[in-house]
Amino acid sequence: MIGVDLMIAGRNLARHTRRNLFLGGALAAVTALLVLLGALTAGMESAMMQSATTLMTGHVNVGGFFKITSGSAAPLVSQYPRVLETVRARVPEVDYVTVRGRGWAKAVSEHVSMDLVLAGVDVAHEPTFRKVLHVVEGDLEALSQPGTVLLFEGQAERLKVKVNDVLTLSAPTARGVNNTADVRVAAIARNVGLLSAFSAFIQADTLRQLYGLSPATTGAIHLYLRDPKDAPRVAARLRTALAEAGYRVMEPEAQPYWMKLMQTVPSEDWTGQKLDVTTADDEMGQFKQFILALRVVTGLLVVILMVVVVIGILNTLAIAIRERTREIGALRAIGMQRRKVLWLFVLETALLGLLGTGAGVAVALAVAGAVNAAGIALPEAVQVFLAQERLRFLLDPGAIATDALVLAAVAVLAAVFPARRAARLKPVTAMHHVG
Amino acid sequence: MSIVSVEHVSKDYMLGKTVVPALRDVSLAVGKGEFLSIAGPSGSGKTTLLNLVGCVDTPTAGRVIVAGQDTARLSERALTELRLRTIGFIFQSFNLVSVLSVFQNVEFPLLLQGGQTRKERAERVLALLDAVGIAEHARHRPSELSGGQRQRVAIARALVTRPALVLADEPTANLDSETGGNIIDLMKEMNRRDGTTFIFSTHDPKVMAHASALVRIEDGRIASREDLDAARLAGGR
Repeated sequence: MIGVDLMIAGRNLARHTRRNLFLGGALAAVTALLVLLGALTAGMESAMMQSATTLMTGHVNVGGFFKITSGSAAPLVSQYPRVLETVRARVPEVDYVTVRGRGWAKAVSEHVSMDLVLAGVDVAHEPTFRKVLHVVEGDLEALSQPGTVLLFEGQAERLKVKVNDVLTLSAPTARGVNNTADVRVAAIARNVGLLSAFSAFIQADTLRQLYGLSPATTGAIHLYLRDPKDAPRVAARLRTALAEAGYRVMEPEAQPYWMKLMQTVPSEDWTGQKLDVTTADDEMGQFKQFILALRVVTGLLVVILMVVVVIGILNTLAIAIRERTREIGALRAIGMQRRKVLWLFVLETALLGLLGTGAGVAVALAVAGAVNAAGIALPEAVQVFLAQERLRFLLDPGAIATDALVLAAVAVLAAVFPARRAARLKPVTAMHHVG
Repeated sequence: MSIVSVEHVSKDYMLGKTVVPALRDVSLAVGKGEFLSIAGPSGSGKTTLLNLVGCVDTPTAGRVIVAGQDTARLSERALTELRLRTIGFIFQSFNLVSVLSVFQNVEFPLLLQGGQTRKERAERVLALLDAVGIAEHARHRPSELSGGQRQRVAIARALVTRPALVLADEPTANLDSETGGNIIDLMKEMNRRDGTTFIFSTHDPKVMAHASALVRIEDGRIASREDLDAARLAGGR
């Protein structure tokens, strides 16, 4: 029977080609738009998280703040080898660990100066660093030498420096005095979105010297997990484990460390060392909010368009029911139950919905594939905004299938009301309908 | 034994705020195997009576009993089931499903009934299409057929479930007289062959002449009932 039902639905759709093409086309357009916007957002989020989890944060971080007075704060973890020992013992899910210094400094060139968030790295122990950074000038290996810095293209341009030029870094130490260090530009990397606007990397020991720190002091321990989804669970476990080991651990707060350094921590009334366990999501909170806002805007746009499509479906079905009222009456008279009438109209819309959304997905895949293959470069201002250099759509089959099914389901739901009206028609009224 | 019993049935329609009586205190019994014609001028209540007997409408007063079941006591679902299994309908304007082929239109009530294999359905449908002389058009759509051919398809559809009762509302009204005559002959043959009860409405005297019994309706009341077979027998004697 389902075969005949599908045949009736399909042939009824084909009978009014122009009307159904228009409605199916609208549904396809909304689907394509939803899929493309979703893929663009996913592409941005992926690029952002990929660069962020290499450049700024691990999946889980054990950072901390050291306060000599209650009004000051430095992003430090003292005696980090002992902390690292606890971390390694309590996180079997870890893939690898990196240790980085943290700080911020004013970078002064011969021409201009700018503020930079600094990360002190040991490139020999940074396995994914090379995968994310595309060095356009100089050599990444040179960053293993003391007194070197890696800048991004935008920063180098702004400071008007090239590889082997020297910059002066000026930074406040934990004791409240300013220290300076001259660093040579070892490499210039291609911009990787918003993060590269303010992040730079210097050799780990050079950062320690700039801040006058001991070799047992670092900025943060970054943990990279085999499955990043474990991060919240691992972070919660680490907080408990570190507290049990006698460390003072800060309450979880979804803020990047530099915001805590600038705003939250100096206003708190305590001194000494406190550890702060965060996840990548915590450190990327503002970016995540940006992505969320983008998704909300996308969602609103799609909802508005879907309202238009739903109105179209209601109108189309109202016309179809009016045209087929006598047929409905005759079918009811020969023994078709109400639910069967309902089913036939719903099936017709479901078929239209699936064909429309299917076509929309096909169009979106074609557009996304073509754009990705073309590697369209974005203007620099847009690069910063979109956190990627080239327009890139990240196509997630699960998300695409969900989008298509949700839109098809909305179409079907929109059909239920007029279909119920058709099913409730009295056979005698329907059979003698004129119109 | 009656297959249809209409007892003191009245049916009123509302036209705005005005009550329009379509049937007034009508009583009628139709025996199994009858080939009964309901005759009367337009607006006399023929279609209303057929609609009530066919369980597609409900009376304002009185009882309609079909195949021993009081239709007033049946739910909407049970009424639909009664129509599906006991009654066949032939409509004046054919009312075939335009997107289905002739074969599929005739097969459709069997699909609604369920329970038969594809082969059983095909055998029954093809036999009926053959019987009504339209087997060669099995793959055609209704729009590709003439009025007479469409009505033959409608007859096949009405008979495919082997109903005890077939109701036909002016089945020849949209056909020329020769085709109309052929259709009535066909219905008569089915009545003779299978013993199916037919009740059909008409205001065409030539069509009425084929009936075994004739009920005349005027102004919503039964004016007369004649047993034409008995009269023919008496005339022949």
